[in-house]
Amino acid sequence: MLLEVRDLHVEFKTRDGVAKAVNGVSYGVDAGETLAVLGESGSGKSVTAQAIMGILPSPPGRVTAGEVLFQGRDLLKLKESERRKVRGAEVAMIFQDALSSLNPVLSVGDQLGEMFVVHRGMAKKDARAKAVELMDRVRIPAAKERVKQYPHQFSGGMRQRIMIAMALALEPTLIIADEPTTALDVTVQAQVMDLLAELQREYNMGLILITHDLGVVADVADRIAVMYAGRIVEQAPVHDIYKAPAHPYTRGLLDSIPRLDQKGQELYAIKGLPPNLMNIPSGCAFHPRCPMAQDICRAHVPPLDQLDNYRQSACHFWEECLDG
Amino acid sequence: MPEPTAPAAPQAVARSLRSDAIRHLLRNPVFVLSALVIIFLIVISLWPSLIASGNPLKCDLAKAQQGSQPGHPFGYDGQGCDVYTRTVYGARTSVTVGVCATLGVTVLGSVLGGLAGFFGGLWDTILSRITDIFFAIPVVLGGLALLSVVTGGTVWPVIGFMVLLGWPQVSRIARGSVITAKQNDYVQAARALGASNSRLLLRHIAPNAVAPVIVVATIALGTYISLEATLSYLGVGLKPPTVSWGIDISAASPYIRNAPHMLLWPAGALAVTVLAFIMLGDAVRDALDPKLR
Amino acid sequence: MGRYLIRRLLQMIPVFIGATLLIFLMVNVLGDPVAGLCGDKACDPATAAQLRREFGLDKPVLEQYLTYMGHLFTGDFGTAFNGQKVIDLMSTAFPVTIRLTVVAIVFEIVLGLGLGVLTGLSRGRVLDTAILLLTLVVISIPTFVTGLVLQLLLGVKWNWISPSVSTQAPFSELIVPGLVLASVSLAYVTRLTRTSIAENRRSDYVRTAVAKGLPRRRIITRHLLRNSLIPVVTFIGTDIGALMGGAIVTERIFNIHGVGYQLYQGILRQNTQTVVGFVTVLVLVFLVANLLVDLLYAVLDPRIRYA
Repeated sequence: MLLEVRDLHVEFKTRDGVAKAVNGVSYGVDAGETLAVLGESGSGKSVTAQAIMGILPSPPGRVTAGEVLFQGRDLLKLKESERRKVRGAEVAMIFQDALSSLNPVLSVGDQLGEMFVVHRGMAKKDARAKAVELMDRVRIPAAKERVKQYPHQFSGGMRQRIMIAMALALEPTLIIADEPTTALDVTVQAQVMDLLAELQREYNMGLILITHDLGVVADVADRIAVMYAGRIVEQAPVHDIYKAPAHPYTRGLLDSIPRLDQKGQELYAIKGLPPNLMNIPSGCAFHPRCPMAQDICRAHVPPLDQLDNYRQSACHFWEECLDG
Repeated sequence: MPEPTAPAAPQAVARSLRSDAIRHLLRNPVFVLSALVIIFLIVISLWPSLIASGNPLKCDLAKAQQGSQPGHPFGYDGQGCDVYTRTVYGARTSVTVGVCATLGVTVLGSVLGGLAGFFGGLWDTILSRITDIFFAIPVVLGGLALLSVVTGGTVWPVIGFMVLLGWPQVSRIARGSVITAKQNDYVQAARALGASNSRLLLRHIAPNAVAPVIVVATIALGTYISLEATLSYLGVGLKPPTVSWGIDISAASPYIRNAPHMLLWPAGALAVTVLAFIMLGDAVRDALDPKLR
Repeated sequence: MGRYLIRRLLQMIPVFIGATLLIFLMVNVLGDPVAGLCGDKACDPATAAQLRREFGLDKPVLEQYLTYMGHLFTGDFGTAFNGQKVIDLMSTAFPVTIRLTVVAIVFEIVLGLGLGVLTGLSRGRVLDTAILLLTLVVISIPTFVTGLVLQLLLGVKWNWISPSVSTQAPFSELIVPGLVLASVSLAYVTRLTRTSIAENRRSDYVRTAVAKGLPRRRIITRHLLRNSLIPVVTFIGTDIGALMGGAIVTERIFNIHGVGYQLYQGILRQNTQTVVGFVTVLVLVFLVANLLVDLLYAVLDPRIRYA
C-alpha cells in the first residue's frame, strides 16, 4: 500500500461544542490506483484529506487518534520540518476553487516555480523554465507568454490546470484531489478530469479523488469509499457498487442521480438532513434517514463488515440491501 | 474552509442571527463592562448631584492648585474649584456633545448616503464629489477655521460643526451598504413583485444596511467627545462657564509640572469615556459580523 | 493606466476647488479679515474701509476667490497682513512639518506594522489581547493628552528630551513629537494589520502554500504579508495628508514652528491669506497622496492593474 489511513479521528472545537468530523476512518490507496471518496458536505471526506496532508486548520481542528502510513512511515508522528518535505513533493493536493486557492498577487509562473526553488533549491530562472514546461504538460496554450500572467487572467478550466500542474511539479507518488471539477462548467469538467486521469496513469501515481458527484466517479475510479458522518459506510470496487450497493445510503445516492431512461418520474431524494456533527445520532448515524432502519440500528453502531475480499459495508442489513 | 457546520433549516438560521448577536454580546465581558460605564455616564450627566454635592462654579482662589484632601478627593484646580465636582459635571457636556453630534451625523449621513446609494445616477455622483471635498479638509483645521469666528463657546456651535464635517463619513458607509443590500435577491424579488420605492427602502433595504452604520456611529461618538476636548484645548471649542473636560485639561496644561492632578483627573475621565464608546462599537461589530467569530 | 490617471486627475479638480472654496468662504465670509489688523482693539470704521479696499475685500466673494486662485497659480500666495510673504512663511514652516510627518510615518510603519504582524500571527494569545487593549487605550486618549503627559514624563520628570523643540527642529528633537502625532494612527495601523493578517491566514491560497510544503517563513513573508499589507499601505498613504493637517495640536504642545503653528496663529489673528494659502497646499498634498496611493494599489494588486 502506498498510503494507508488507520482508524483516524478528527475533532473540531467550536464555540458551541466539539464537532466530531472524522470518527475512525480507514482506507488505503496503491500506486497507480484511484480511490474515490464519496459523501455529502460534512461527511468528513475533505477533513480526512486535510489530516493526511497535515493542513487541518488548527485550532480548531485536531487529530485525536489514528495513523497515516505513507510508504510505511506514520506521517502523524513526523516532525513538522520533515512533514513539510513530504507535502507537495511526495503527496500533493489539488483544491476545489482554483481562483481562491492561487495567490492573487503572484504570477502563475512564480507560484509554479516556487516548488522547484523551495524543494529542489533551483535558481529562479531555471524554475521559470520548469514552470513553462509544466504549463505545456497540462496543455495551457501559449505557456511561454502566459507564465507571467496572474490567476485572475485565466479561465476557470485553465486555472484548475495550473493547480494540477502545481501538484504534478515534483512528480509526487500520491495526489489528493478535493472536488477538482466542482467549480467548473460541465463541459470543462470532463476535460480537466480526463487530463488528471491521463497524467495519473502516465506517472503511475496514487489518486484520492474526493467528490460528491457519482457521475465523475464511474469513469475514473477503481474503488469507492462512501463516507457518512465521519465514518466509511461502504467500500468496494466501482463496478460492484454500481451493480448492487451494500448500504442503504449508497443506494440512496445512486437513486438520486437523474436518469434518462426514467424521464418523467419524480427524482428520488434521501429524506431528512445530514447529521449534526456536534450530536451524531446513536447507533448507525444514518438511521433517522434510513428506509430500512430497525431497533438495532438505533442501539448499535454497525461494524464495517468484510463482504468478500474487496468489499466492506457498515450496515446491519447489508445482505438485504444487496438483494435490493 | 470545509469546516463542519451544524446543519439547520434556513429560516431558523435567519431568525437566530439577531438573537445570536445579542446573546454573543451579553457573553462578551468587554461589551458588558463598557455598557455599564456608559449607563453610569448617562446617569451622572442627567443627575450629577447624585454623586457630587458641590457646585462646579463655586471656587475659592485661596485653594488654587491644592492637592487631594478630605471631602475633595481630586483636589482643586487653578481657580480653586473642586476638581471632583467639575469632573462629574463635565460628563454632561461630553455626553451631550457626543450624543447630539452622533445623532445629527447619523441622521444626515444615512439619509443622504442611503438615498444616493438607492437612486444612483447624477445625485450619487454629486454627493460622492461633495463627500470627497469634505474628506480633503483636515478636521481639526476645519474646526479651528469655523469655530474661531463663531463666538459663544456653548456646545451648539461645536455640535453643528461636527455634524457639518462629520456626515460624509457616515454617508459613505450608508451608501455602500445600501448598494450592497440593494443587490440582494430578495430585494430584486420584492421589486419584481411591484413594491414601491419607499417600501423597498424602509422594509427591505434599511434593516439590512443599518448594521455598519450603527458600528461606525458608536465608534464615532467616542471620537466626537475626544474632538470636543481637542477643540477646547485649542481655544476654539467650549468656553467657561460651560464645564467641560477639554476646558479643564486646557486650563491645567500650563501647571502640569507642579499640579498634574488638575490635568490627570479630567483627562482620565475623558479617556475612560471615549474608551467605553469605542469598545462598545468594537464589540457590536464583532457580534454583527459572523465572519470574524 | 494612462486613461485611469487622466480620469483621476480630472476628478481631483472639483475636489480641489470645492475644498479651497469652502475654506475661503469660512474664513472670509464668516470671519472678518480686517478685524485682526488693528491690534487688540477694534479698527475704526474709516481705517477698516480703507483696508478693505486695499486688499480687495470690498469685491464680491467669488471674485475675490478667483483673483486669489489666479495669483496662486502664478506662485503668488499673497502677503500676510503683517507684511511677510506667505510663501516665505511656508518655506520655513513646511520643512519642519514634513520632517515631523516623516518621523510619524516611520513610527506607523515600523511600530504599527510590526505590532500588527505580531498580533495577527498570535491571534487569541495573551500578547495579542494585551496589545489590542493597548491600541484601544491609545485611540481613546486624545492626542493632546498623550502629548502633554509624555512631555511631562520624558521632558520634565526624567529629562530625556527637551520639552520644547528649537526653531531649527532637527530630526533628533522630533522623535517624541512624531510619536505623539502618530499615536492614534499607529494604533489603527496595528489593528488594521492584525485583522488583515488574521483574515488572510485562513484564506485558501495560504492553505495551498502550506500544502505545497513551503517553509513557514516563506509562507508568511511571500504569501501572507504581501496580500495583507495592501489595505495597510492604503491607510498609511492617505494618512500623510491627515497627519500634516492634524499636526496643529502636536506642534502647539511642543512649540514646534511648523505648518500647524502658522495656521493656528493665522486663524487666531484672522490672517486670511496665510490660512487659505496653507490650507490650499495641505489639500493639494492630501489629493496627491491619495492619487499616489491609488497608483501604488495597482502596483501591489495585479487584479486592479488589469481591471
